[in-house]
Amino acid sequence: MSRYIARRLVAVIPVLIVVITVIFLMIHLIPGDPAAVMLGPNATADEVAKLRRAMGLDQPIYLQLLTFFARTLRGDLGNSYFLDRPVAQAVVERIEPTLLLTVYSLVVAVMIGVPAGIAAAARPNGLLDRAFMGSALLGVCVPNFWIALILIYFVAVQWHWLPAMGYAPLSSGVGKNLRYMILPALTLGFNQSALIARITRACMLDILQMDFIRTARAKGLPERAVIQWHAFRNALIPVVTVIGVTFAILIGGAIVTEVVFNIPGLGRLLISGILRRDYPVVQGAVLFITATYVAINLLVDLTYALIDPRVKHG
Amino acid sequence: MRTPFGRTSWRNVAYTAAAVAIAAGLLAPAEVAAQKPGGTLRIAILGEPPALDPHWTTATLTEIIANHYLEGLYTRDKNYQPIPMLADGHTVSADAKVYAIRLRHGVIFHNDKEMTSEDVVASLNRWLKVSTYGKALAPKVEAIRATDKYAIEIRLKEPSAVLIPNLAFENNFAAIYPKEVAEAAGDKPNTQFIGTGPFKIVERQPDRFIKMVRHDKYAARSEPASGWGGKKVAYVDTLMWIPTPDPVQRINAIESGEADFTFDATADAYGRLKDNPKVRTEITKPYYWLVMVFNQKKGLFADGTPSGQKMRQAVLAAIDQEPVTKAAVGRPEFYRLDGSISFKEEGKWWVDVPASTYNQKDKAKARRLLQEAGYTGQPIRYMTSQEYDWMYKFALVAKQQLEEVGMKVDLQVVDWATLVKQRNDPDKYDAFTTGIGAFADPTQSVVFSCAWPGWHCNPEADKLIDQMRRETVFEKRYALWKEAHKLFYEWVPVIRHGDIFGLSVMTTSVKGTAGMMRPFFWNVWLDK
Repeated sequence: MSRYIARRLVAVIPVLIVVITVIFLMIHLIPGDPAAVMLGPNATADEVAKLRRAMGLDQPIYLQLLTFFARTLRGDLGNSYFLDRPVAQAVVERIEPTLLLTVYSLVVAVMIGVPAGIAAAARPNGLLDRAFMGSALLGVCVPNFWIALILIYFVAVQWHWLPAMGYAPLSSGVGKNLRYMILPALTLGFNQSALIARITRACMLDILQMDFIRTARAKGLPERAVIQWHAFRNALIPVVTVIGVTFAILIGGAIVTEVVFNIPGLGRLLISGILRRDYPVVQGAVLFITATYVAINLLVDLTYALIDPRVKHG
Repeated sequence: MRTPFGRTSWRNVAYTAAAVAIAAGLLAPAEVAAQKPGGTLRIAILGEPPALDPHWTTATLTEIIANHYLEGLYTRDKNYQPIPMLADGHTVSADAKVYAIRLRHGVIFHNDKEMTSEDVVASLNRWLKVSTYGKALAPKVEAIRATDKYAIEIRLKEPSAVLIPNLAFENNFAAIYPKEVAEAAGDKPNTQFIGTGPFKIVERQPDRFIKMVRHDKYAARSEPASGWGGKKVAYVDTLMWIPTPDPVQRINAIESGEADFTFDATADAYGRLKDNPKVRTEITKPYYWLVMVFNQKKGLFADGTPSGQKMRQAVLAAIDQEPVTKAAVGRPEFYRLDGSISFKEEGKWWVDVPASTYNQKDKAKARRLLQEAGYTGQPIRYMTSQEYDWMYKFALVAKQQLEEVGMKVDLQVVDWATLVKQRNDPDKYDAFTTGIGAFADPTQSVVFSCAWPGWHCNPEADKLIDQMRRETVFEKRYALWKEAHKLFYEWVPVIRHGDIFGLSVMTTSVKGTAGMMRPFFWNVWLDK
């Protein structure tokens, strides 16, 4: 197992190098100038050029890339142009909102998706199946920013039940934190529950056709026990895979949701960084998100062995 | 209660105190009972400011926030005219080259140190070295020195009428820091947020909030409040500046009670908001005039060739300002047509330009000028940005109008960061959109600047503006300003479209707002 993990970790290195290079080139090659944004609309061209020189942005792009690699290898992601702090600190400060939003959304997605998928599979083509799969189609099709705007308009603006935007850190209390996170988690989770529901249904239908299920029913097990203990347990591997992938997708989805709900997480950090061309922040945030994505995939692979004893890593 | 003057009651004392306050003109009678200290005012702002050092950037957001914790020697009153703030007053030598400025006594910085002339000299020297407006003024300044603990002297190389207006302007402003803070910052953005303002910064969490609390040792002026000046009272205990980049969410935040005040709201929401009994709206004037800035260095509109000027004149002839300006904001309450480079609200500097000059809408003339310029359908690269919705909208209508007279317009829609970079490169565009706000003195207007993107390098205009800077008699300066307007419409460095107005939105508990060009929150209280 440890050799497997080591091998996977080594394989991550080229992935990170490619990602860093691509994002560095993309953000530097698109037009835009952090110096001009920083100095404001009435700054003269000479002032902007002078600041660019001071920031090292007049250097050839390959030299800037090499400098960036050398710094990153030393564990230094540089300093934000705008936030008055090192990028690493800015990223660490944003982990909590993004992580909590992702976890809460995953809980919403799983709590809606898995039971819906199981219920749909238990009576294929029945009323429940059609209703759940219709909703799932809606969940896949409707963009989450639209769901967000509808929720904000009714729940926050019209009914004043929950805040329209913002974030309360966990240190201010779980209840307060949850108040701010319910709408974003519902927005993001509903969207992803559709995928989980469809995969769960498909896997359950496959398993329910198998001989051991027929045997279980033949020996007189109640249908509930057949589905819960025999079918669902065996359908878990693809479901866990899709939940793992969903977790990674949610980190990406959190970008839009954080912007709409004004949550100061990694997504908003990244978007603000792109808009104001805060190059070090964009590079640092993308590097962190990539590393997280890779780590989640590794964890998902390792989880297979726990769920299914037949799976061995070596 | 027994007093040296006989027996009196607490009620009499209260009446007397209120009467004194009213007599002193400090409070309007209706407000005596209304003003309430305390509470937290939450302001949804459009993003994180690039810095909190107004010497260092011309960004409007920096200007608005920094004005709460910093002050300059001068500021501007409700008619946008300079008035003393940290200065007590000044005298000018007969040759108008030496300004002796007296400082107020007992002004305390947020670090409990008293402001003296050495702080002022260090701050002004940094401002001259770092800020856009300071750098423009610096070549005219011979020396700044302290003449006393509470007095400084500014010696100029030539007479100047623009020194005090420059020191009073709230953008990129000549804020006074403690000497050690100004010196430590050098030409980098200052990160020690210490000033003399009515609020002090206590916490900054980028993209989450900037928290300010009342400066208890604030030394207020005694004159009635006027514009950015006069008596400032921090009624609210705390100001929370909350970056909220999404314009729809900023309004949602007010309606749902998550924030108390926002500005730069889109006019689209006005119809709905003005009927909401829980929300108050304020239309702020002046805001911006819409502008199409020509690249006068290279390309179709470049100076140095007769065709460049004719091309610019053709654009001016082709434009019908009403639909262009209306498209930007949609509602009649939010725009007006005007041809003056100074806003109407700036009073004495406003120039009455005939509509036939700034709103020609003469397609035949435009076609004739294009023909004379030898235009053969080359694409005009016109840059705009959707990040400022109004810019994109007016550019669309302008494009359509120019195409009607035979111009081929390549509208390039980019994000704001790209636009502000590319507008510094004369190879990248022929024209770009922006908005132009008010300046402390007409001579500061970027449309006459050879250093600002677009590069209006007209020796005749330079001479006029330079004369205006040196001339100290207002009547003569105004005559020169009118001349500058004539030149502006002949030379056409930019197309001046109409004025648009700003929209501030707040909960009904927010009281005492001044409705100036930029919001501020001293003298504002919460009636909750």
